[in-house]
Amino acid sequence: MTPTETWQRLDPRMLLVHPIKEVGRFLPVLIGLLIAGGASGGGPWALLGVGLPVGLGVVRYLTTTYRIHDGRVELRRGLLQRHTLATPVDRVRAVDLTASPIHRILGLATVVIGTGSVASDADERLELDALPRDEAARLRAALLRTGQAYAVQVLPDGTALPPPPAVEQVVARFSPRWLWYAPFSGTVLVAAGAMLGVAGQLSQSIHVRITEADLAAITEALVLVVAAGIVVLAIVLAVGGYLVTNGNFVLARQGSAWHVRRGLLTHREISIDVARVAGVSLGEPAALRVARGRRVHAIVTGLGGEHHASSSMLLPPAPRAIGYDVASAVLGDATPMSAPLLPHGRAAVTRRYTRALLGALPFVLLPVAGVVAGGPVWLLVVALLPVGVALALAVDRVRSLGHAFVAGHVVMRSGSALRSRDALAAGHVIGWNQRATWFQRRAGLVSLAATTAGGKGRVHVPDVPVAAAIALAEAATPGLVGQFLEEVR
Amino acid sequence: MTQLRDPAHRVSPRARLMWHVETGIAALAVAAGLGVAAVLAAPDALRWGLLALAIIVCTAVAVVVPQWRYRVHRWEVSATAVYTQRGWWARERRIAPMSRVQTVDFAQGPLARLFGLATVTVTTASAAGPLQIEGLDRDVALALVDELTRKADLVAGDAT
Repeated sequence: MTPTETWQRLDPRMLLVHPIKEVGRFLPVLIGLLIAGGASGGGPWALLGVGLPVGLGVVRYLTTTYRIHDGRVELRRGLLQRHTLATPVDRVRAVDLTASPIHRILGLATVVIGTGSVASDADERLELDALPRDEAARLRAALLRTGQAYAVQVLPDGTALPPPPAVEQVVARFSPRWLWYAPFSGTVLVAAGAMLGVAGQLSQSIHVRITEADLAAITEALVLVVAAGIVVLAIVLAVGGYLVTNGNFVLARQGSAWHVRRGLLTHREISIDVARVAGVSLGEPAALRVARGRRVHAIVTGLGGEHHASSSMLLPPAPRAIGYDVASAVLGDATPMSAPLLPHGRAAVTRRYTRALLGALPFVLLPVAGVVAGGPVWLLVVALLPVGVALALAVDRVRSLGHAFVAGHVVMRSGSALRSRDALAAGHVIGWNQRATWFQRRAGLVSLAATTAGGKGRVHVPDVPVAAAIALAEAATPGLVGQFLEEVR
Repeated sequence: MTQLRDPAHRVSPRARLMWHVETGIAALAVAAGLGVAAVLAAPDALRWGLLALAIIVCTAVAVVVPQWRYRVHRWEVSATAVYTQRGWWARERRIAPMSRVQTVDFAQGPLARLFGLATVTVTTASAAGPLQIEGLDRDVALALVDELTRKADLVAGDAT
């Protein structure tokens, strides 16, 4: 019998975490209370403001218990509204240990058990906040059987031997060189956007009186300096954010689980059951390709949707070679990521160009209309810019487009600014979607998606020739699509 | 050259009428909205032309789309797979193996009940869209649900 068979409480030290956190949450209220209390002299109310969060923590500690019993994880919580959550251990896909700085000082960790349930409601989450670090690690081992905590060896004389914990093999480890890739990862845009948003908010709340003299002071040099300042600040924020979330990153394989450890301040340890890894998505957005970097996500059965995106990350933006190594290690074969892909033929190429150029059309017509309406002729040069961008985009998209069936994996690649190369194990393909507009049908093309139970629910690639789409489906799932075929001249 | 053929069965012919009513109501609402906008906002010279255009487009959609959709919407169930086809301008074909079917859902909206029609939705564990068959005759739909439930039951596992 393992120690978790009986009902366990959280660690009493969490009593310290919760008051600190709750006080933080109540801080605005507290300040308000203190100010209001100071003004009106209402002492008791201020006391209630402090006591309530502490009381909530105690209640949470007293009412939350968990156990592993009869092959199920069970969690009981709540004072008035009692919840009992139970899930079979073999439905556990991932275990997420998180330790904020407060948790780390106290030697605690929060455990979130991922079961692939679609419920995103906080009430339905299997979350234990918090356990002692080693207890959390033991629970994880029991749930994912990384240390074979369940397969206790019994010697001939009847004594039970705990099995040795599986050896951990490190596949990738953070290096300061990785910070180079942070500015190319799209977080720069987010940071710049956030700064503009904050600036907008500030300018609305602070009334700045702008005189004509001020406007006159705005020169080209000033605009350039401000723009450069924003860019530098955005890059600093992106690098800082990368360091805080991905510092100390380690990807390792232990027994039947992948462990991802990361975070400079808040530690996160995500463990994914190997059997649930359906495939790998190698992210190669254009900006990251310029910097010769790659990122890797796992396609995990039962872990789908946006709020699991961070749980399935296997590698943050990092050197290309490491990206390929990680993807190959997780797939168990290097060829799905390196093998050449089948191109989609002339019709698909034509469609890339027409679609890109049609997208640029409004931006061309606008300056042309300006010239016709009597604008300066140099506006025509402006009209050439979107054409150039569209052509570059089309060329890159043509180069990206491809698919293959390699080493038991459906491999698809498409896109430019957000290009990714996805490999999905044939055994995890749970259906095929073929979509074709009237134009695509005329061109003999179809947008093909292999559906799966994890990630975004599918891997897909646009504009596959009809025959190639059937060949790919027949290679991955023999007979499934084959029974619905017909011969045409 | 081989290609994917259409699924074997059409939906009920009454579905056309239901879709005509459905799109008719929607088109009426859109045309009314556009009409009000044209009367209020458009310059005098263009007003009646724009109004006529809105009415013509909405009528054409209400007349053509249901017929087009009826030509496209088809379904088939084999021993090992479900195959559906829907859409009109964009045609979407979906194939799911019977072993991956998780739920089979029978639904009837108020309009569908009026026409004695029903929608059968087959979901798999994928978030990338269920297989939906609209405009089935109610009895056919019930029999189909029975058949699918029986066939999906035969396969063990959690269908992921």
